[in-house]
Amino acid sequence: MNPLPALRAALTRYRFSALAFVLLVAAGVTLSVAIVSQERALRSGSARAADRFDMIVAPPGSRTDALMTGVFLRPGSGQLLSPALTAALLNDGRAGFVSPLAFGDSYRGAPVVGVTAALVEHLSGGLAEGRLFAARHEAVVGAASSLKVGDTFHPAHGVHHGGEEHGGKDDLNAHEASLSVVGRMKATGSPWDKAITVPVEMVWSLHELPAGHAPGSAQLGAPFDAAHTPGIPAAVVHTGNLASAYKLRSAYNSKESMAFFPAEALVQLYAVLGDMRQLMSLLALVTQALVLLSIIASVFILFRLLMPQFVTLRALGAPRRYVFAVAWGFTALLVGLGVLLGLAGGYVLSFAISSWLAHLTGVALQPTLGEAEWLMALAILLVGLVLASLPAWHMQRVPLAAAMKEY
Amino acid sequence: MSQDAAHAGLGARAVHAFFPDAGGVPIRALHDVSARFLPGQLTAIVGPSGSGKSTLLHALAGIVVPQQGEIVFGQTVVSSLGERQRDAWRLAHCGMVFQDFRLIDELDALANTLLPAQFQRARLPAVLRERARELLALFDVPLRAGPVARLSRGEQQRVALARALLLDPPVILADEPTASLDPDNGQRIADELRAMAQAGKTVVTVTHDDKLVALAGQVLRMKSGQVMSPSPHTAAATLSA
Repeated sequence: MNPLPALRAALTRYRFSALAFVLLVAAGVTLSVAIVSQERALRSGSARAADRFDMIVAPPGSRTDALMTGVFLRPGSGQLLSPALTAALLNDGRAGFVSPLAFGDSYRGAPVVGVTAALVEHLSGGLAEGRLFAARHEAVVGAASSLKVGDTFHPAHGVHHGGEEHGGKDDLNAHEASLSVVGRMKATGSPWDKAITVPVEMVWSLHELPAGHAPGSAQLGAPFDAAHTPGIPAAVVHTGNLASAYKLRSAYNSKESMAFFPAEALVQLYAVLGDMRQLMSLLALVTQALVLLSIIASVFILFRLLMPQFVTLRALGAPRRYVFAVAWGFTALLVGLGVLLGLAGGYVLSFAISSWLAHLTGVALQPTLGEAEWLMALAILLVGLVLASLPAWHMQRVPLAAAMKEY
Repeated sequence: MSQDAAHAGLGARAVHAFFPDAGGVPIRALHDVSARFLPGQLTAIVGPSGSGKSTLLHALAGIVVPQQGEIVFGQTVVSSLGERQRDAWRLAHCGMVFQDFRLIDELDALANTLLPAQFQRARLPAVLRERARELLALFDVPLRAGPVARLSRGEQQRVALARALLLDPPVILADEPTASLDPDNGQRIADELRAMAQAGKTVVTVTHDDKLVALAGQVLRMKSGQVMSPSPHTAAATLSA
């Protein structure tokens, strides 16, 4: 049998209602898919961003705050490690390298971060262009920076705030120091792509702090002079192997500092994210169920309007299963189209949110349609197909003789 | 004419049918109705509204199952068949024509004509498509006029006739086929029904149309669910004879 002609006729007759049903289902699926996809993109994006940060040492407090400071360049509490501990940490020979993180300046919305060349090399995995800084007035920019190799700029005092532009010649907060860009990092998929890295000694001296070395010294990086080293908000520790990583972690977990692997803080974040995703997914699924049920109820009403057509089919000799096929196909097609459209919409929405978040945070997010989304869409589709059988079953059960009189 | 029709007539034997009213009380719709409808015969069922004409037609189509009595077609007791078999029997043996055409407005004339063939076939053979085109051409229905709702009422009823004839059924059952047509179109449909009977089909029509009654070889007058008078021209019942 071929129910398509009758199905096409029913869809044509009620095309606007059908379109509304499809869009309703699509909206529900879009939300569900986008939530799951986005949560996964956030996980993988943040994990990728933190991948090259072996260990972070920061003043005691929130690991999440320290993670946000070190990996995501969003300094928070303002607490610093003591100068003595800072010097000890930066000179600790058990680590592959230890880089301080020093904040306080920015240029046209991009943070200027004081680090060591070793960290820049490590994060970037070799530069995309130019060379590492070798003098205090040199800088290496992130892959997405608007500055080019050879450019000079005046960093301005103040911590960057999302998109606020300051720095530059006309900015009263600008330091007099002029820095030259000598290299560009490869893309890291993290906020560091927009950052400007400079020798930590430069940041300290710009803020009139001891510059980590004896006055007049032009030295960059370790060893730092304990007598001339200021406190820092956080340090990134590169550990050679797992054993030394745990030793260092243990050594710097004290009253004065905390040391942790970024994954530890991320796991806590993911737990919160996961809980939120579960809650939002549940809400989305409940919404989806309500949408499906309301559509089925509307289809019952719609089919009453289509009763003369169904009665005609039966009067002409169509078996009950033909009527069932037409009626079921009508609803099933709407649900199927809605789910497909919702999958596409979910991906597009997730992509849009990711782009927005990437612009906002610098964390590269790559949304995908994973197994969970496909399974969820499949589940919604299956439930929809089963529910579609209810009005179809009702239609094919209508007694023909009585219906002939009524319709 | 199909082989069945060459040997079979359609008949009602002492048929009783009841319908429950709104309160569930059974109302007599047909009472002891017996009649024969022969191949090559155009039968007109006449009578006042509510006299059971349409119920008899529906009983002949296997839509209404009588509580007593039988509907027979050749050796087949249609009224004893299960619903599925009656559906299949109706599809194969009865072409149905209705007062309000009962076309699918959104489909074109060809798709409407082909509709009964879709009930059992996933793909239509080319010969059926060709037959549908021939029938529509025979009835002067334009093929490329878009949805049938755009056709005139006369053309729509002729599409319904083409649909009824598509599978070459031996029986044509028409319920007030001229009632909603103007006199010219009504006459044309009446002539077509008569021509079908002359071609050997068993044609039964419920009608109030005197022109159609005048063409009938057998007239059943019904009142209160009963056949009140035998056909005035039963002897000439078979037009093709």
